[in-house]
Amino acid sequence: MTRNLTNITGRAWVFGNDINTDQIIQGQYLTILDYAEMAKHTFEIPRPLFASKVKKNDIVIAGRNFGGGSSREEAPKVLLESGIGCVIAESFARIFYRNGFNVGLPLLIAPNAAKLVKDGETVTVNLVEGTLTLRSNKDIIHGKPVTERILNLLSAGGAVQWYRKTLGKR
Amino acid sequence: MGKTLAEKLLANHTDDGKATAGDIVEAHIDLLMVHEVLGSRIIPILKEMDFKHVWDPKRIIVVNDHWAPASDINSAEIHRRNRNFVREQGIMNFCDVDCGISHQILPESGLVAPGDLIIGSDSHSTTYGAFNAFSTGLAATDSALILATGMSWFMVPETIRIEVDGKLSKMVMSKDLILLILKDLGPDGANYKSIEFFGTTIDNMDVGPRMTMCNMTVEAGAKCSPMMVNGYVESWMKNVAPTRKWTSTKPDDDAEYIQNLTYDLNKDPLCPMVATPDNPTNGQSVIEVSGVPIDQAFIGSCTNGRIDDLEIAAKILKGKKIRKGVRLIITPASRETYVHALHEGLVEIFMDAGAIVTNSTCGACVGGHLGVLGAGEVCISTTNRNFRGRMGHKDSSIYLASPATVAASALEGAITDPRRV
Repeated sequence: MTRNLTNITGRAWVFGNDINTDQIIQGQYLTILDYAEMAKHTFEIPRPLFASKVKKNDIVIAGRNFGGGSSREEAPKVLLESGIGCVIAESFARIFYRNGFNVGLPLLIAPNAAKLVKDGETVTVNLVEGTLTLRSNKDIIHGKPVTERILNLLSAGGAVQWYRKTLGKR
Repeated sequence: MGKTLAEKLLANHTDDGKATAGDIVEAHIDLLMVHEVLGSRIIPILKEMDFKHVWDPKRIIVVNDHWAPASDINSAEIHRRNRNFVREQGIMNFCDVDCGISHQILPESGLVAPGDLIIGSDSHSTTYGAFNAFSTGLAATDSALILATGMSWFMVPETIRIEVDGKLSKMVMSKDLILLILKDLGPDGANYKSIEFFGTTIDNMDVGPRMTMCNMTVEAGAKCSPMMVNGYVESWMKNVAPTRKWTSTKPDDDAEYIQNLTYDLNKDPLCPMVATPDNPTNGQSVIEVSGVPIDQAFIGSCTNGRIDDLEIAAKILKGKKIRKGVRLIITPASRETYVHALHEGLVEIFMDAGAIVTNSTCGACVGGHLGVLGAGEVCISTTNRNFRGRMGHKDSSIYLASPATVAASALEGAITDPRRV
């Protein structure tokens, strides 16, 4: 699997600060073994209609400290499973940031995006440049480009594919 | 320039013996703990990796603790997969549903020693910092890679120095102290950072209350929170692992810290604290929230389910009855804790007071079983997280507090200052 990382275009789902992993996927759903089934409960508490309305390549935009709390990898996994093309936040909680790239979910740290982008607005992310472009007025928000190591991980489709290409062959 | 505890502990696990804040290093893991996430998520990842054997069956512990014993068919299937994996891979350390919560079992089994680098598939793995270990939580993919290689990469964290001096007053516990510190740090105040604790309060603190503090540093985003070895840790190690050799690690005097917090409890005595919904960093003095009616009181979890927690609860509950209409659920952190409580007569005190004493499990804390909340219900709990919906229905609410405050509140049917009962 190779992901297009320079042109991820979709509608924005805008959230506030401190969206924790229980808001992304509640603990009661963690025993569900099939991710497609589990993804039906994504953002059930803060955005009850998310799972029924989300489209491929939609983009989650949030404030500070996105993904705090539990180490559950199910959080980035259900976002990926829901078709989310990228998550943009002012900052990410440590474990979520690592998990996102591990499962192959693009993440971008960008200031003020949650304030400047309207919910439902169409935006384009270029992860290599670290930019977010608004379709309405072509405004560009500059984020922090990810490192080459992370781009390689994402291009491979996540840490497992990267392992198969590199470490697994040692 | 001197080194912090986190830098030294990580450097001792790299090939070149180097680790400076900001560096990305590959480190050798001393011990990996995995729980139900093994059966549900890691095993499918291992299949994708064409994995054959774990790197070292002695350095892995598998624990079935989150839904113990199985609460439904899915968790039963996850437990079954874990048992099979342990058998097939010859894993030496396995705690099935009868043992208790991982963060209590690992230290009790002598698997945590000063200087260790320990990874758990659970965010509260910061708990082992109480024993001078570098320990942190990672998730399924990182755990799968460690199972295969025994290695993982880390960004060496910067460190926040927290000094606490003075005595905790009567009915004030280390839980109250960490709730105060979390309030000052905020939900991302320690994100990516290590926290080092200093001062007489920490030096004179027993292992249990130290574990409570290290357990919750992750609620401010901390990566790890190693403490220095004290007399209590030394005697704990003599007791649980008398033959195991370990060395204690100290930070250099000129180590560089990015932030300093100091607390003088003699000058500013600490009140019992309560974190209001929906974040553990919403700490307030119990006086501010006193009188809020509750439906359920919960004592347990990897934060506050240890023998010292049960002892203080029993002291408050002895010879009394909890308020009618309120449920008090007590879940000892491990089988060993449960047996200890039985021998001390605590279980009888709890039963006489009208409490429900359950087997050891993460159960209620994760909204799994044995204490799930319904719509509109209010719970005061000794656990670590009060995120919306954490213990059940999305419209339930959780107040976090110490075992003393929870026990006092169960008697009154409303949030109560334990110094008043």
